[in-house]
Amino acid sequence: HGHIHKPKTGEELHVTFILKDGTQRQYEVSAGDTLLDIAQANNLDMEGACGGSCACSTCHVIVDPDYYDALEEPDDDENDMLDLAYGLTETSRLGCQIKMSKDIDGIRVALPAMTRNVSNSDFD
Amino acid sequence: MLKTSVGIRLLSTSRKSVSVVGSGPSGFYTVCRLLSKSKEPLDVTLWERLPVPFGLSRYGVAPDHPEVKNCEDTFSRCAKEFQTRNASGHTFRFFGNVDIGKDIKLEQLLNSQDAVVLSYGCGGDHKLNIPGEDTANGVFTSREVVSWYNGHPSFARNEKLSSFNWSRVKKVGIIGNGNVALDLARVLLSNQIGEVWAQTDINPLALEKLRTAPIEEVKLIARRDFLHSKFTNKEFRELWELERFGIRGVIRPEFLDLHEIDEANTDRVLKRRVEMITEYMLPFDQRTKKNYKKHRPPKDGFNKQWEMDYLKTPLMINSDAEGNLKSLTVCANKMTPDNRVERLSNQTQDYEFDVLITSLGYGSNPLDEFKSLNIGFVKNHVANKQGAVLNTENEVIPGLYAAGWIRKGSSGVIASTMADAFEVADAVLRELPTSQPRKQSTIDVSNCSFTTWNDWLKLDAEERRRGQEQGKPRDKFLSASEMLEFLNKK
Ligand SMILES: Cc1cc2nc3c(=O)[nH]c(=O)nc-3n(C[C@H](O)[C@H](O)[C@H](O)COP(=O)(O)OP(=O)(O)OC[C@H]3O[C@@H](n4cnc5c(N)ncnc54)[C@H](O)[C@@H]3O)c2cc1C
Ligand code: FES
Repeated sequence: HGHIHKPKTGEELHVTFILKDGTQRQYEVSAGDTLLDIAQANNLDMEGACGGSCACSTCHVIVDPDYYDALEEPDDDENDMLDLAYGLTETSRLGCQIKMSKDIDGIRVALPAMTRNVSNSDFD
Repeated sequence: MLKTSVGIRLLSTSRKSVSVVGSGPSGFYTVCRLLSKSKEPLDVTLWERLPVPFGLSRYGVAPDHPEVKNCEDTFSRCAKEFQTRNASGHTFRFFGNVDIGKDIKLEQLLNSQDAVVLSYGCGGDHKLNIPGEDTANGVFTSREVVSWYNGHPSFARNEKLSSFNWSRVKKVGIIGNGNVALDLARVLLSNQIGEVWAQTDINPLALEKLRTAPIEEVKLIARRDFLHSKFTNKEFRELWELERFGIRGVIRPEFLDLHEIDEANTDRVLKRRVEMITEYMLPFDQRTKKNYKKHRPPKDGFNKQWEMDYLKTPLMINSDAEGNLKSLTVCANKMTPDNRVERLSNQTQDYEFDVLITSLGYGSNPLDEFKSLNIGFVKNHVANKQGAVLNTENEVIPGLYAAGWIRKGSSGVIASTMADAFEVADAVLRELPTSQPRKQSTIDVSNCSFTTWNDWLKLDAEERRRGQEQGKPRDKFLSASEMLEFLNKK
């Protein structure tokens, strides 16, 4: 649960989380760790209800537009889950599907407020 | 360690106490949030009617969606962390096999706890209320079928479902097109595909029966038009992807007026849905995007199909001389400009079916005591304002809350249920410091034969052990009495 690797000296990557109250947290992390793992290892409020299997949308993050294009495009499974996320934005992604890599070193993501803005008549 | 009629009393302390009624995702997420966020030490008690926890995660979510059930890992971690008092000072207790309202009165909880959260879900059925619904042999509700194939203790050996002659079922009708309806369509159409079920915890008794059905066609019938489809894209995609097994999807062009859809101010979800349909309706080699070409359909073509039917109102269920379902009479509908459904009563037709499943949403019920306690209940849910329960005069009842499906009615996925539970838990924590003094200091559970969290851990371990022998994640106990017997033997 939220297992992350200790980055090797000289290979540290950086990620900043902007919490719901606006405070920022920066971490030094290693390549391959997902944003969900990083958030959970640091006790941030990111649920990950399905354990990172792209089946729940509770790891929704809003990516700083400056970094969004550096990410690989979301696949169908991720988009299907984003459909159900609260407060979806143009740069929304699922934290469990974003793996840290050199290409996105310094990435900044915000945790969305969990207010409802979509009507959810999904399971009935 | 099942305690039967030993004089245990739930001793209350000067600490604040919260009881949560129902251990599905909403109840358990409420518990986890309370325990992880409260700065003051809390006594949290979780009551569950069944001997085992997790509600619809265990008994609703389809067996071929195991990843959705991963929320259970979070609940188990939380239970483990707080089961014995740790540095936080909280206590957590689970009482399974206790029906609130029958074994323990809700009134007792209200009198002895600082806050009570109702999270007991929707355990009933909605009805069409048309002739033949209760009499024709071969008509089931979605909840009956889902609970049967998921091995729910009250349905795993259900007589109506297991004695039914599945071996003559070719055509199935499903009324409704929400995700539960799509789950049912997927399960029924892949009934004979061993690889889909081999590594799941589907009720083996149900699978054995279902497997005998030579199902060729499943038709999903909705009152409204395509734009008002209720399924999510995830479930819809899974249906299309059944093409790899020779199962085709059909939506008749008259329901897919793309011009009309364009005008409907197409949002992201709909845009993606339309693309999905457009691509999947093309022959495999003519599709433009590679994500619609994941698995080529079998060489010998399609031998089964599902169809999304729209703009029909079910009128009557017809059966033959022996009382077996024969057909469903429907009339056509049209949508009015203000999005109401208007029946075209003179345009009727009969659909022949061997099985008909009504998938109209799970229904909820008030507890018997709601009347005497003056608790409001409206439109399929407990009357509430943002989770604070209201009485019949629309006034907030201090210390009583509702979360999950019983708060809003039977809609919402685990993610929305979780958000809902967190909101309620946060309200409880905000209001606990000013809670009213308790009238009573103890809850007497001496007449209940309840299961504890440790009992669940034993049942869980045994289910996994039995499953492992068969190459499955678990083999569920199929009745409450088998669970209790196993625990008593230990
Ligand atoms: C067929 C089906 C498939 C689904 N598939 C998915 C899916 O793939 N993905 C997804 O995200 N969501 C899915 N859902 C939705 C998800 O299951 C719900 O969002 C969630 O379970 C609602 O949680 P709840 O706690 O409100 O209710 P429930 O899960 O129903 O829990 C209520 C609990 O209360 C207990 N209870 C009832 N009465 C009493 C009483 N008097 N005293 C004590 N306990 C009581 C019940 O036994 C039960 O354990 C599905 C739902 C269904 C029906
Ligand atoms: S953790 Fe469930 S979708 Fe990311």
